[in-house]
Amino acid sequence: MLKTRIIPCLDVIKNKVVKGINFKNIRVMGNAVEMAKYYSLSGADELCMLDINASYQNRKTFIKTVESIAKVINIPLTVGGGVSDLSDITNLLNAGADKVSINSAAVKNPKLIRQASLRHGSQCIVVAIDGKRHKNRMKVVVKGGREITKNELIPWAKQVQSLGAGEILMTSMDTDGVQNGFDSNMLKKVTSSVSIPVIASGGVGSLEHFYLGHLTKSTGLLAASVFHSRKYKIKTVKKYLSSKGVPVRL
Amino acid sequence: MKKKVIGLIDGQSGNIGSINKAIKDIIKGRPYQLKIIKSHFNYTSFDKIILPGQGAYATLMSNLKKLKIIQPLKKYLKNNSSYLGICVGMQILSDWGYEDKTTRGLGIISGDIKKFRNKKLIIPHMGWNTINLNKDDTIIANCFDKKDFYFVHSYIFQNIKKSDVLAFTLYGKKFPSIIKKGNIYGVQFHPEKSHKHGLNLIKNYILKS
Repeated sequence: MLKTRIIPCLDVIKNKVVKGINFKNIRVMGNAVEMAKYYSLSGADELCMLDINASYQNRKTFIKTVESIAKVINIPLTVGGGVSDLSDITNLLNAGADKVSINSAAVKNPKLIRQASLRHGSQCIVVAIDGKRHKNRMKVVVKGGREITKNELIPWAKQVQSLGAGEILMTSMDTDGVQNGFDSNMLKKVTSSVSIPVIASGGVGSLEHFYLGHLTKSTGLLAASVFHSRKYKIKTVKKYLSSKGVPVRL
Repeated sequence: MKKKVIGLIDGQSGNIGSINKAIKDIIKGRPYQLKIIKSHFNYTSFDKIILPGQGAYATLMSNLKKLKIIQPLKKYLKNNSSYLGICVGMQILSDWGYEDKTTRGLGIISGDIKKFRNKKLIIPHMGWNTINLNKDDTIIANCFDKKDFYFVHSYIFQNIKKSDVLAFTLYGKKFPSIIKKGNIYGVQFHPEKSHKHGLNLIKNYILKS
């Protein structure tokens, strides 16, 4: 049986893992390579790392960090943040990423999804979608939620699937960083309208939140703070889920 | 003592970094050497060949053709020499692939590569899933029965002879996850991404098979 994936997410600046609340008040949580190694050894099913400050100078260090991480882990690695064109995708895959996540560049230029999946295969193209409620509608937002786009969430999710995305990384900006649980309502709407895997992201604070995330039919559950702060070990989360009857890799 | 030569084919179908590193770690201090195959090669000068692959069947076949690898690889396989194909590297052992367009495969293990048909399934089949052994074998000797490996694919080996299937996995229905004919192995999952069990499988293939 296919297992629900538990995915720690590293928000990275250069080679440091950071955490901010709603993308503000950023603080350093640790060294990216060390943390990646630790998660790989302690039972993570996959790792996600995002360059959250992809300026030209930071980018070089970030790519080196990707290379270093790819050398020390043997679980899949998804990398994103600041991916703007095909050459960024190729560079990250060459650095050792297994999947590359595209976000605002896909909103700006949806054709990029098709081009990338034709060149590298759908299996390594993840489209990250940031969703937010605005005037009673679910909208796609960019720039950490600061900019509301014209895209409606559900039609956009369907469109990225038809353009060849292999997976959706779905973050609710309404719940991200506040540890009150995933946005079940938003996630269920997305998982029921696409047939590609959906990773739930944004808002985990307790063990039960992971279980509620599983109930949305998301096949990957992403979390950052609860792991980085050592509130929960990955094994603890998996044992809990397993006790609730959720298939996990123990 | 003469070193055994392992060939790792770079079919320009995804990154070979992880598998390259895994092999290097395994053969360190042992009488093996690793050579990367990127073009036509002398098929008699390799003891083992590993072909990892991601992406589409048609793409990998056309890349191998461009690199002039198909002909020596076919001779190597017809000679029943030791081979491990990973994901699409396993799929192209079949007669035909039906991804994107109909593509003729290497025709070493009879069968076709077709998409999961169940409309209710989330596709690609992505994540960790269990392998169930049909029979024991040297490369799966370390109690791999019911262990999880990392999969990412939308197409499966169909119309294969039951005797060529070493292990199967359940996703909607049973599909072959490890196949074997003579000295030729194929795995649908990615052992290089499957943590310790995956590394043990590569190790067994290199050192024991």
